[in-house]
Amino acid sequence: MHNIVGRFFTLLTLTVALLLGSAMAQPTGTPDAEAFRDAFLAGNLSWDDVLERAAEEGEVVWAHWGGSENLNTWIDTVVAPELAALGVTLRTSRLTNTRDAVDLVLAEAAADKGVGEGSIDGIWINGENFFTLSSQGLNFGSFADLVPNAQYIHFDPNNPASGPNLFDFGYPTNKEEMPWSGDQYMCAIDTARLDRADAPSNFEELEAWLRANPGRFTYVRPPQFNGNTFVQTVLYALNPDGTSFQPFQSSADEISPEEFIRLATPAYEYLQRIEPFLLGGGGADGQRGSPIYPEDQNALEALFVNGEIDMACRFGMYNTAVAVETGRFPETAENVIFPESGMIKNKNFIGVPVNAPNPAAAMVLANLLASPENQLSKLGAIGYVMGIDADLLSPEQQAQIDEVAPSLMGITYDELGAATVPDTNASLVGIIEGTWIEFVERRTGSLEEVVQRVYADR
Amino acid sequence: MTTTTPEVRPSRKKKNLSNDRLGPFGRFYVTLMVGGVLIPFIPLIIGSFAFRWTWPDLLPSKWWWEARATARLPQGWDYIFSPVSRVVESTGNTILIALIVTAICTIISLPAARVIAREKFRGKSFIEFFLLTPLIIPEIAVGLGILVTFIQLGLAGTYAGIVLVHLIPTIPYMVRVLTSVFQGLSRDYEEQARVLGAGPLQTLLRVTVPMILPGIIAGGLFAFLISSNIFLLTFFIGRGQIETLPTLLFSRVSGGGALDAVAAGVALIVCIPGIILLVITERFIKEEVFAKGFGG
Amino acid sequence: MASASSQQPIRTPRRPLRELMRRFYVPLMLAPVVITIGVLFVGALFVALLQSFGHAPLYGIQEFPTLKYYRSLFQLPGFWSSVALTFYYAIVPTIVGTILSVYLALALRKTFRGKGFVQFIYKLPLMIPYLVGVAVTIVLFGNGGIVARSLFALGIIDSTGDFPRLIYSHAGWGIMFVYVWKQVPFTTLIVYSVLMGLGRDSEEAAATLGASKWQTFWQVTLPQIMPGIVSATIIVFAFNFGSFEIPFILGGGFPNTLPVEAWRAFEDADYARRLRAMAIVMFIGLMSGAVLFLYLWTYRRFERARGRQ
Repeated sequence: MHNIVGRFFTLLTLTVALLLGSAMAQPTGTPDAEAFRDAFLAGNLSWDDVLERAAEEGEVVWAHWGGSENLNTWIDTVVAPELAALGVTLRTSRLTNTRDAVDLVLAEAAADKGVGEGSIDGIWINGENFFTLSSQGLNFGSFADLVPNAQYIHFDPNNPASGPNLFDFGYPTNKEEMPWSGDQYMCAIDTARLDRADAPSNFEELEAWLRANPGRFTYVRPPQFNGNTFVQTVLYALNPDGTSFQPFQSSADEISPEEFIRLATPAYEYLQRIEPFLLGGGGADGQRGSPIYPEDQNALEALFVNGEIDMACRFGMYNTAVAVETGRFPETAENVIFPESGMIKNKNFIGVPVNAPNPAAAMVLANLLASPENQLSKLGAIGYVMGIDADLLSPEQQAQIDEVAPSLMGITYDELGAATVPDTNASLVGIIEGTWIEFVERRTGSLEEVVQRVYADR
Repeated sequence: MTTTTPEVRPSRKKKNLSNDRLGPFGRFYVTLMVGGVLIPFIPLIIGSFAFRWTWPDLLPSKWWWEARATARLPQGWDYIFSPVSRVVESTGNTILIALIVTAICTIISLPAARVIAREKFRGKSFIEFFLLTPLIIPEIAVGLGILVTFIQLGLAGTYAGIVLVHLIPTIPYMVRVLTSVFQGLSRDYEEQARVLGAGPLQTLLRVTVPMILPGIIAGGLFAFLISSNIFLLTFFIGRGQIETLPTLLFSRVSGGGALDAVAAGVALIVCIPGIILLVITERFIKEEVFAKGFGG
Repeated sequence: MASASSQQPIRTPRRPLRELMRRFYVPLMLAPVVITIGVLFVGALFVALLQSFGHAPLYGIQEFPTLKYYRSLFQLPGFWSSVALTFYYAIVPTIVGTILSVYLALALRKTFRGKGFVQFIYKLPLMIPYLVGVAVTIVLFGNGGIVARSLFALGIIDSTGDFPRLIYSHAGWGIMFVYVWKQVPFTTLIVYSVLMGLGRDSEEAAATLGASKWQTFWQVTLPQIMPGIVSATIIVFAFNFGSFEIPFILGGGFPNTLPVEAWRAFEDADYARRLRAMAIVMFIGLMSGAVLFLYLWTYRRFERARGRQ
């Protein structure tokens, strides 16, 4: 009996200690983190100093979208050991949505956590998430051209090739984020079900095909980035002035609501019009049914793989190739150029928030991810496009690119290049997704009302 | 119970209810029910061993073992058991959290249950109702309300935070089960012990506890079960930093990718604690104990 | 406790600490659970309540007290559809599940071959998370799932579009299947144990008096297991009404059930929208509580009318 009592109390004590301990395990701020940041950004530190400090810090927390097993595997098998060799333990936080990491940084900043006191060191980030951090001044600083592997990235503002590195969704990066990867919005078809010849190549053909074959297509639900990008693509294609992406490069402050309404009306009306012919739709004009918009690209692909839709559009230049290789897609899957008017291409980055708990390790992480070896490995192993600029690599490395790059499954780089367009301005993203939710999904009002409301709320 | 006079004999056609055999329709129904429980697992098991299983194949067109040799990245079960998938870590988290929650829940519910079962006091039915309200108000209400507060307190993303929220759905069940255990417990033994000179603590430890131990174990198993199956509260408070088996499964299944080998495999693994619990309860606990407190 | 045999009713005040402890015995024993539930559960609801009325300094909103969030919520197109949908997905599987469970519990009383195995296995869905049920439903009943593929192989349907839409639709068959699949073991367990506790005496008496099996069931058995059924259905309905992950994954999109709408309001948009989420959540709690209160009250009245206390 006494044994039981003894065990009970031990368990109780341990439990209480565990709870107290974990509740109190807050990151402690270091005043010399400030000093490190100032010194590093001023260029006063050598890379060896940074490495030394990183080994002292001992770990780095990287928050990234965790929905790709391949990426998770690559990170754990390639990146983690390399960092461990430098004395830094990699801790990854797998997000369902990058916005969660941004929210956390915002919350910590509101709680006055400064340099060295937060909980995230690096975020796989771009677009409106980076915009949110930047506009609140929550980036670590202009570190991207201060790390050794910056030599493989164009940062010279006079060089047009540095555009994608200096502007993220039209918003200046200020070199506060390090290019890591990139991607292009691609559509995959299963040639066993849909011939290449029959596949639509622009939105008029898509609508015709949908009316003839209702229920064989859908797109990811905004505000998930794959859904947003689809809506952006429609906006470009149905731009009444025919200027495609140009007007959407201006920020939300520069485009009045009325102007946006004028530019966006054909596109949003199109999206409303085709709703009955999407998966789950009623199949005829006026019969809306329950159109099914999958939550993310994995759900979209599951519908594709299950034979419910014949075309799946998502970011992923080499996604089809990798999916066929890993058994996810049927062997007859291929890519198509859709729409010809423009498939959005962008870069994504590693951003470092201002309250990174391990700033030196964050620098080391960003640098390591941008090394040519890792970029090539990433491309070959899991088909993630390189973020560094190929023309700055050595001829041997450039030859390697051709070797390891997966197949484009039925289209060519030239075709892709001809159809490439950029994202909209970062500040427009919220407006575009808000309008879709209110106008297309919820039907809360006319387009004019909805856009005015969304503009007012932002 | 009425006695029958010798002249009135029960008709021969009347069956003796105690040896009632289940009729054909009943057997069919039971088979249907059992099938309904087991058959859904079959495609899940097949799917976990599939490499490529797309429409319209009834069986995978390529099996996992066929592709293992040539695959560049670990597939299927290889991936699940590799550290990358975090399955082992999630399992550990789930069990650890459930154990701690069960322990705390038992400790704090015992005194309350004892008092509710035995004492009369003002506001007793209010307290009983109060302790049942977490069963009526949905998790999402609690989750949304508590999340921001926890973030501010620094409890979000910590084991402590998750343990605390897990207490909310487990306490009602535990108190109910323990209350009925105490209600079924005759005070005679305790009184006899006191008469024989035992102090209150001795009585507690040597008489009361052994008698309620089966009830405590049953309640504990129930609490463990609930805690290990909680999704929404863990998802909210864990914020992606602490993964348990339900949150891991959610990230796989919400992609609608249940025909994906890894998702199917994770779904099967998630069943393992439940199956173990089922075996344990089947061997040691009688059904009546579970339903005590609910049967009215 | 046998006290010293003293005929004098004078009570000598013994150790005052003891007296104190006696007075506070009950509250002290209740304190841990009450405080835990009070702080965590009631506290969370209280925070949500305040926010739903406009008090959210964290988001920079200080409009307390205001009904504006509730007003805009009730005027939203689709809100009342969400309410109806949530009730529908909650009530139907509760009723269907209860009927199935009672029948199963009754069947389990009788003997048949394999009864031991059945008694073991029918509890399995109870022990595993709902998400496994969701996974299983997607695999089986998706338009590209096993059943659809079987029908395709048999030539009954030509494409996925021909298969009736069981998941990702507002008809909610998939959702309700998951609820029934998971909850039949729970209700069966409760009803069965009540049945076991009751014994067969009354039923045998009724049979002796010439009642048919149907009459025996309706007039003898059912009233006896009613308390168990009521308890079980309360818990089941409450869960179904407030469940999030199942309609989130298997639902038909807008209009969603109330919990999914609350989540969307919380996650999808800017911070101000979160207060709408709190209003939805308060509404859910209110609805759930009101319905169950009404249910219990009606049941109590029914019981009293039948002469039972």
